[in-house]
Amino acid sequence: MQFQPETHSYYSASSVVIHGGGGVAAADPFERVVRLASGSAVVVFSVSTCCMCHAVKRLFCGMGVSPTVYELDQDPRGKEIERVLSQLLGGGSAVPVVFIGGKLVGAMDRVMASHISGNLVPLLKEAGALWL
Amino acid sequence: MFPSWPIRFHHHTPVVGSSKSGGGGGGGEESTDSGSAANTLSTTVPESPVSTKPSSSDHHHLQPPQMDGAGGFSQSHQTAGRQTPEKTLRRLAQNREAARKSRLRKKAYVQQLESSRIRLTQLEQDLHRARSQGIFLGGGGVAGGSISSGGAIFDMEYARWLDEDLRHMSELRTAVQAHLTDGDLRVIVDAYISHYDEIFRLKGVAAKSDVFHLITGMWATPAERCFLWMGGFRPSDLIKMLISQLDPLTEQQIMGIYGLQQTSQQAEDALSQGLEQLQQSLIDTIANGSINDSMHHMAVALGKLANLEGFVRQADNLRQQTLHQLRRILTVRQAARCFLVIGEYYGRLRALSSLWASRPREALQMADDNSCQTTTDLHMVQSSQNQFSNF
Repeated sequence: MQFQPETHSYYSASSVVIHGGGGVAAADPFERVVRLASGSAVVVFSVSTCCMCHAVKRLFCGMGVSPTVYELDQDPRGKEIERVLSQLLGGGSAVPVVFIGGKLVGAMDRVMASHISGNLVPLLKEAGALWL
Repeated sequence: MFPSWPIRFHHHTPVVGSSKSGGGGGGGEESTDSGSAANTLSTTVPESPVSTKPSSSDHHHLQPPQMDGAGGFSQSHQTAGRQTPEKTLRRLAQNREAARKSRLRKKAYVQQLESSRIRLTQLEQDLHRARSQGIFLGGGGVAGGSISSGGAIFDMEYARWLDEDLRHMSELRTAVQAHLTDGDLRVIVDAYISHYDEIFRLKGVAAKSDVFHLITGMWATPAERCFLWMGGFRPSDLIKMLISQLDPLTEQQIMGIYGLQQTSQQAEDALSQGLEQLQQSLIDTIANGSINDSMHHMAVALGKLANLEGFVRQADNLRQQTLHQLRRILTVRQAARCFLVIGEYYGRLRALSSLWASRPREALQMADDNSCQTTTDLHMVQSSQNQFSNF
C-alpha cells in the first residue's frame, strides 16, 4: 500500500477486491476481518452504494489520508464479513467500519467523536497514515 | 287532647274514651276527667292544659297494650300507627342518604371538570406555541396546516426545552456574577451540558418518526432555519462566533479551539458530501422509474430516504461532541461564560425572527420609505441587543 502525500484534494483511496488472500483462504470470516484490518494503516469496510460510507471516505480524504477500502458488496463472501462487523459493533449497521493500525475505531459516530475530541489525528500519525 | 288519635287506645277505660272523644278543650279537664285510668297508664301526661309534648303523648299512645290483653284490633291500629312514623323515618333517612350521595357525586364531577379544564388550557398553550414556531413564523407554508404527530410532539418538547433553557441561562448568569466557587459553578455548567444532551436525545427520537420535520427545520424559527445545517446548528459556525468572545485564553486553549474549528469543519464537509450523494442517488431513482416498475422504484426510493435519519443523527452527534469538547478545553469559569454567550446568541436569533415576523407591513407599500423602515428595524434590533448584552 502506498501512502502518497496529497497534492490535490481528489479522493484516491485504493479499492481492493479481496481474493482468497495469500494462497490459503481464511475460512473463518472473523479471522479474515482481523487479517484485512491489520493489513493497512487505515482500513474502511464499506458498501459501494452506502452514502454514510461515502461520507467516511470523504472525511479521510479531506484529512489527506488514503484508506484501504473493502467494498463488501463486491466480495463474494462479503455477507459473512458484514455479519462479523455487525457483531463487533454490537448490532446495527455493519458499514462503515474503520480500523486504524489494526485496531477497531468503530462506526461513523465513534469516528466523528474521536476526530472532534482530537484523538483521531494522533491515532493516524501513530499508524503512519499521516505525517506533519 | 289528641282528637286525631283513635279513641280505642284506652277502650278498656270507657271513662277515658269518652273524655277523649270530648275534644281538645281543656287539657287539664281531660287529665282530671280521664281520671285515674289515664294517670295509671302514663305518668308522663302533663298536668298543664296545653299539651306540647307530642313525644310523651306518643309514648303514651304507643305503649303496648299489654294491659288490656286485647285482640288484634287495637294492635293493628297500634302497629299501623307505629309503622307510619317508622316508615317515615326510614324514608327520610333514605332521602338524606341519597341527597348526600348526590352531593358527593356532583362534587367529584365538578372537580373532574376543573382538572380537565386546566389540562385543556395547558395543551392549548403548548399547541399554540408549537404552531406559532412551526407554522405561523414559517408563513403558513406547511401543507394543510397540519404536522405529523411525531413532529407535533417534538415541537411541544422543544418548547418546554426552550423554557428550561431560559431557566439555565438565568442560573448561569447569576452564578457568573456571584463569583461562586469552581465546584459550585461546575455543577451548574454540567447541568447545562446535560440540558443540551437532552435535546439531542429528543431529536434522535423525533428523527425516527419524522426526519423531514427535523431536517427542514420546521421546529425552528425562520432566522435559525436560514442557517440550518442538517437539522440544526452548524458547529464550525458556532466555534467561529465564539472565538472572538472567549478571551482570555491560554495558548494551549487557543490551539484547542482552532483545532476544534478545523475538525468540526472537516466532519461537516464529510457529512455534507455523504448527504449530497444520497440526494443524487434518490434523484436518479425517482427520475429513472419506468411506468412498469414504478412501485419497485418507489420502494427503492423509500429505502434510500430511510438513510436521512442516519445523517441527522450523525449531525446531532457532531453538535453534541463539539459542545463536550468545548467543555473539556475551557476552565469551568470560561465554560460558564461560553455557554452564556451561546444561549444569548440563539436567543437573539430567535428574537430576530419574531421581530421580522411582526415588522410593520406598511413598508411594503411605501417603496421610497424603505430606508426609514430599515432604520426602524435597526433601532428595534439594537434595543433588543442592549437587553441581552450582559458582559
